[in-house]
Amino acid sequence: MEAFLFFACGALMLLGGVMMVLQRSAVVAALWLVFAFIAASGVFAALSAPFLAIMQVLVYAGAIMVLFLFVIMMLQGPVLEGERKRLALPMWPAVAIPPVAVLVLVGGWLANRRADALPAAPEGFGSPGQIATLLLGRYLLAFELISIVLLVAIIGALALGNRERKLPWS
Amino acid sequence: MAIVLESLAKIVFMFLLIMGMVPALIWAERKGAAYIQDRTGPNRAGIGGVRLAGLVHPIADVLKLVFKEDVAPTHRHRALYALAPWLVMTVAVSTYAVIPFGDFLTLGGHTYKLVVADLQVGLLYVLAVASLGTYGIVLAGWAANNKFTFLGGIRATAQMISYEINMGLAIMGLMLVFGSLRLTDIVAGQGGLLFGWLPMWGVVLQPLGFALFITSVYAETNRNPFDLPEGESEIVAGYHLEYSSLKFALFFMAEYCHMVVGAAMISALYFGGYQVPWLPRPMLEKHAGLLLQLVLGLTVAASLLFAVLFLRRVQREKGKFGDARDREPVLGAAFWLVVALAAAGAFALRPGDIGAAGASIFASLFQVGAFVGKVVFFAWLFIWVRWTLPRFRYDQLMRLGWKVMLPLGLANLVVTALVVALVGSGK
Repeated sequence: MEAFLFFACGALMLLGGVMMVLQRSAVVAALWLVFAFIAASGVFAALSAPFLAIMQVLVYAGAIMVLFLFVIMMLQGPVLEGERKRLALPMWPAVAIPPVAVLVLVGGWLANRRADALPAAPEGFGSPGQIATLLLGRYLLAFELISIVLLVAIIGALALGNRERKLPWS
Repeated sequence: MAIVLESLAKIVFMFLLIMGMVPALIWAERKGAAYIQDRTGPNRAGIGGVRLAGLVHPIADVLKLVFKEDVAPTHRHRALYALAPWLVMTVAVSTYAVIPFGDFLTLGGHTYKLVVADLQVGLLYVLAVASLGTYGIVLAGWAANNKFTFLGGIRATAQMISYEINMGLAIMGLMLVFGSLRLTDIVAGQGGLLFGWLPMWGVVLQPLGFALFITSVYAETNRNPFDLPEGESEIVAGYHLEYSSLKFALFFMAEYCHMVVGAAMISALYFGGYQVPWLPRPMLEKHAGLLLQLVLGLTVAASLLFAVLFLRRVQREKGKFGDARDREPVLGAAFWLVVALAAAGAFALRPGDIGAAGASIFASLFQVGAFVGKVVFFAWLFIWVRWTLPRFRYDQLMRLGWKVMLPLGLANLVVTALVVALVGSGK
């Protein structure tokens, strides 16, 4: 059951990625990316990591992509005509990735069928409590450093976005 | 197989509960608005003269919406225009999966948990699904390719992102107090008494968190005073302006589903869910016979009262209309007399001693009833607030979200964390 979910969600995730690259409309591309994120959360759920699965939806699909859509729509407006242009960027690297990923997926499925028993996840694996213990215990330093990086990024974005106006500290 | 059937039964029950409450809420909204504005409200639609004080009106609404022409703008984005209402509706009903509507039900030696999916990360699931709700509204606004709908969609995005943060902060305080992300644990944790007399509900332990949460829920459901994405006086009808017929009906229904889900969340997180105050489960089972007799007795008394009221109308309005409407009081009186007789007849089945299994089933149903009662009250609160408060201006909305509620939420979280660290959690 888990294996089936894992490969089905993996395939859907690839589909989302491919469709996102092939879209001409930025809004539709963003939506396919959301689709891929939700499929990725299914992959996490199949790997018995419920917390990570929900966080994937909550943070990426629910917050970051909504902001992306917001920005795309603000810049583009409700007009749909200007979307028939070709994409300027060379797409070849992007086109090459999905076949490789499909190969990896099929290979993984075959390997999984042969060595049918992977070790079962221990009790409480991937639970919020366990993740919190690891994050705020063993990896505390890395965790806090990342939050400092994020803080610096916020201040930087504020400074860049506010270039004309005087900042309170300048 | 058994687990599939069990889940299916629970899903159907929850779905029927929401879908059954939607027309009732539409009726309550119209009658409530009329009552608050000193009007009569809908009282014309009827079947064979029976109007039920406007309760028949939603049926007329449904018929109208089903058979209306589906007018759509030519310059729409076809796929997304069709996707948006479906997305809104799906998100609105899927939150229900993790909300417990009762404790457990023992039936024929089997014990069933009364929740569709008892997720370990249930609270986060609620937040995740709520955050996906933005897409439907934004896409509806964008795909219709109309300035007013677009403005509505943009407003919805900014508003929902801002208030999601406050909702998350409020919920984090609750998480700390009950020490779990599982909704069944949180509801079970609210069963005790504080100082021996106060029910240990979330609202008692987290009063500020409750105020922040209920405000955020109102903002997330796009209900007044936070209905700026619709804002009739400014942007016509906002994101669903270009929708008609059943697609519009989906948006309309989704709004009421969101209300029911929001009310269920408020009652499960902050008002003890299925817990009956001062009557814990063992007490309920012990006094099941007495309580059942009490419920039946009250039913008899209430239906007799209704029957008398209808009989007085029969006397007063004899031949007043001269058409089918004259039948309504007679039918009403007959209906309530039959109910009173049935309830009185149930006493013949000796409800005083229903046995241990019967007592357990009665306790479960009583708790489900308590939950539904709380949900109905909070759904009514949504309507009450809508017809009492005026709409915010957009800058006021943003100021409230970011400059008032966010600092308060952070302060609530810090204080809660300190208290939990010093005193210990509510578990």
